Amino acid sequence: MTIQKRRGLFLGVNFFLHSLNSFVLTYQWFTVKYEAEIKRMLYDIQNFYLICINSLVKIFKRPLYINDIIEQMEYAGASSVFIVSLVCLFVGMALSLQLSAELSSLGLKMYTGKIVGIAVIREIGPLVTALVFIGRVGAGQAAEIGSMILGHQIDTLRVYGIDPIKKVVIPRVVASVFMLPCLTIIGDLVCLFGGYYIAVFVSNQSGSFYWSSIIEELTFENVFSGSIKPFIFGYLISCISCFYGLTTRGGAKGLRTSTTKAVVTSIVVVIAMDFVLTRILLYALGFSL
Amino acid sequence: MIIFDDVWFSYGDREVLKGVSFQADFHERIAVLGESGGGKTTILKLILGLISPDKGKIIIDGVNINNLSEEELIPIRRKFSIVFQEGALFDSLPVKENVAFLMREILRLPDEEIYLKVRELLQRVGVSDAEELMPEELSGGMHRRVAIARALAIGKTKMFLYDEPTAGLDPVNSERIVALIRDLAERESIGFMIITHVVYVAWQLCDRFIFLKDGQIIFDGDKRELLSTNIQPVKDFIKELLFRVSE
Ligand SMILES: Nc1ncnc2c1ncn2[C@@H]1O[C@H](COP(=O)(O)OP(=O)(O)OP(=O)(O)O)[C@@H](O)[C@H]1O
Ligand SMILES: [Mg+2]
Repeated sequence: MTIQKRRGLFLGVNFFLHSLNSFVLTYQWFTVKYEAEIKRMLYDIQNFYLICINSLVKIFKRPLYINDIIEQMEYAGASSVFIVSLVCLFVGMALSLQLSAELSSLGLKMYTGKIVGIAVIREIGPLVTALVFIGRVGAGQAAEIGSMILGHQIDTLRVYGIDPIKKVVIPRVVASVFMLPCLTIIGDLVCLFGGYYIAVFVSNQSGSFYWSSIIEELTFENVFSGSIKPFIFGYLISCISCFYGLTTRGGAKGLRTSTTKAVVTSIVVVIAMDFVLTRILLYALGFSL
Repeated sequence: MIIFDDVWFSYGDREVLKGVSFQADFHERIAVLGESGGGKTTILKLILGLISPDKGKIIIDGVNINNLSEEELIPIRRKFSIVFQEGALFDSLPVKENVAFLMREILRLPDEEIYLKVRELLQRVGVSDAEELMPEELSGGMHRRVAIARALAIGKTKMFLYDEPTAGLDPVNSERIVALIRDLAERESIGFMIITHVVYVAWQLCDRFIFLKDGQIIFDGDKRELLSTNIQPVKDFIKELLFRVSE
């Protein structure tokens, strides 16, 4: 080995060791500086998973608290119908308006129904309903549980041996999982009616053709991919809301923080999940892109 | 018997208790005093196993409760009747359902029996006309009474724990709650631990006083010792009391 080669090897090894060292130092600096935050984050994630899993595992463990489930269903479902319908009506009308304007310039006005149908059933219905649900039900659940924490009501339950997961979390999760799909069906319908109104009375299309082209779109693939989503969204929204509610600390300000976090996290998670689910469903149902 | 042996506790990096030790019998009448934020409620939560200490031992009736599971803690918690700060009534339920709650969920009594007992309990604490009201419709004093009625519903226990039973009440209502607490303790002949920052309330009810400051116990003694203490923070705290007692 020549001198130069040995020198080169030496430099190379040295460089490698140096970069390793600086990497370790950076890592150490990072972990020391953010140790508390990282720990808290991991701890939060762990708690969140525990809530998600426990709310499934303990569902059939006695006692069942049927009355709480019914009460939560009423709050999450029946009393959300109006607001969901209102929002969906306008979304459906706007969608139909946009499409008929664009399509009539191409001379393809009769496709309005078909496109509105696909968009609403597969994508817009579930998503818009879930977003309204977050604002109404998710925020409500987080705030309610948060104030139960601050008022020592959850502590009282625990003191008397009543599991807060069973008594407080599970009724909300069950209610959301079953009510969001129902709301989505209603939302879809209202959305389609909004589209119908615009197509027929504003854009002067044939009403029976609008409906028949929508009925054509009620295939297994479309209905399935639109109806699986709300179950998953409902579960995620209520788990996230209950989790943030249960971690509320520090008075009215803490309540504000946890409600905000519940809503923001739910929105992001639902929209991201919607994309992931769409990708999976399209693949599983054999659509080619 | 409650034993705290060098108990340390912190919320995150905020140290709340720094080496607290004391022993208490169930029949004693103890007041835990201290400034707001001094860790009084934390002691209560530790006794009930709602939180566990970072260091040190908490022994209740000979059982170290540090690493017990929620199920194993149930018999320990049943030894106490608890009235949390502000009462902690379930605000989605009317008063009578609040009092009935534990009988329904835990004792699983039939409905007629429950409502009979609810009426009796509400009468005992002096709010029999509030049965149908919601918690938000109650005044502060009534709220506290209903909470006491709910704590009584669980049946005979070994000790009462009261967290700030008179906070936010006017002198008349405060006086009534004090009378109720004394009356209950005498009737059931059990002791209580009352957490408060009102020295006069403690003076009327208790014969042992524990002062907390900066996460440590700075005074633990009876009435005589309290009046003759030389510990400055305690003296500052009981100034008003000395004035009232000397009157
Ligand atoms: N869940 C919590 N998370 C973080 N910090 C907390 C929590 N609960 C209490 N603390 C803090 O711990 C300290 C002691 O609280 P604690 O409730 O025991 O006080 P306290 O003596 O009961 O006060 P008060 O008389 O106001 O009720 C306070 O400074 C409080 O800010
Ligand atoms: Mg307190």
